[in-house]
Amino acid sequence: MNGTPVRVKLWDPFLRGFHWLLAASVIIGWTLGQFGPSKMTLHFWLGYLSGALILFRVVWGLVGPPEARFIHFLSGPRAIIRYARGMFRREPSYWHGHNPMGAWSVIALLVLIALQVASGLVSDPDDYINIGPLASEVSAATRKLALRWHHIGSTLILIMVVLHVGIVLFYRYWKHEDLIRPMITGWKEVIRRD
Amino acid sequence: MRLLVAAALTLVPAMAVGQETAVDQALEARQGFMTMLGTNMGTLAGMAKGEISYDETQAVRAATNIQALTGYDPTMHFIEGTSTDDLQDRTEALPDIWLDLEGFGEKYAGLQQAAQGIPDAVRGGQENVGPVVEKLGGACKECHDDFRKK
Repeated sequence: MNGTPVRVKLWDPFLRGFHWLLAASVIIGWTLGQFGPSKMTLHFWLGYLSGALILFRVVWGLVGPPEARFIHFLSGPRAIIRYARGMFRREPSYWHGHNPMGAWSVIALLVLIALQVASGLVSDPDDYINIGPLASEVSAATRKLALRWHHIGSTLILIMVVLHVGIVLFYRYWKHEDLIRPMITGWKEVIRRD
Repeated sequence: MRLLVAAALTLVPAMAVGQETAVDQALEARQGFMTMLGTNMGTLAGMAKGEISYDETQAVRAATNIQALTGYDPTMHFIEGTSTDDLQDRTEALPDIWLDLEGFGEKYAGLQQAAQGIPDAVRGGQENVGPVVEKLGGACKECHDDFRKK
């Protein structure tokens, strides 16, 4: 790693707000889905909130500040391999934004949550109280398939969230790099490469 | 000889049909049972949401049907060899039913309990239908969550 780390304002307030709102929305929504009351009204609202947040993130990824843009942080296999080689070095990455590996896991998580919201909207679990608001717009087979997807999706999201938190802790304790504080304050130590 | 062949030709399909019948009947019975429950639930749910205009006679009829249907014990139709493991897409009955017949019975008892007294509960106005649907729907969900293929 060459260059001296500098403290920069990395994450804009909207992106940070998005992150923590989505985290809360997904965690509470997921928990309610698994263990909540039979009438899933709050689960539904958290689904709508998550969907709206994902839409915002897509827009922000196109027109937001540079660090938030997809074009800024999505990279090809070569960059990913190069980054992965240094992954286990016990030193901070000082990466300016989403690193090449993390970027794709961000995309995976966003896509999974988007699919979860979409499948939830058209699911019908045949209990007459928790019918997706758009379920009547699709065929019975699609409603059924959506329910299945929603179920599988909940497991995949759990895996991705545990992985996400696990990696953040790995950075904190193995690489001695705090990624949580920057997501709260916006400020991060980075080495500019570009 | 010709008679023997003819007899064999008649018997073989008859036997095949005979073998299928127990399973077919079990599926028809329990799926028909669900359809009847569902149709009447649909009436109540529609009224609760305001998609169907409230009509006391219709509401009471649907509720009476549901209460009567849940007086029936359909567990006899869940015969061995009729789970999703055995019949794939022909059924949504998970093998867990047969691993926990007691739990399955308890969930059904939950529906029976939820259905007690509903014909009277839905009288008097549209606002009385919602709580009944929630109670019944909750019992549907309880069992679907554990025993029905997603």
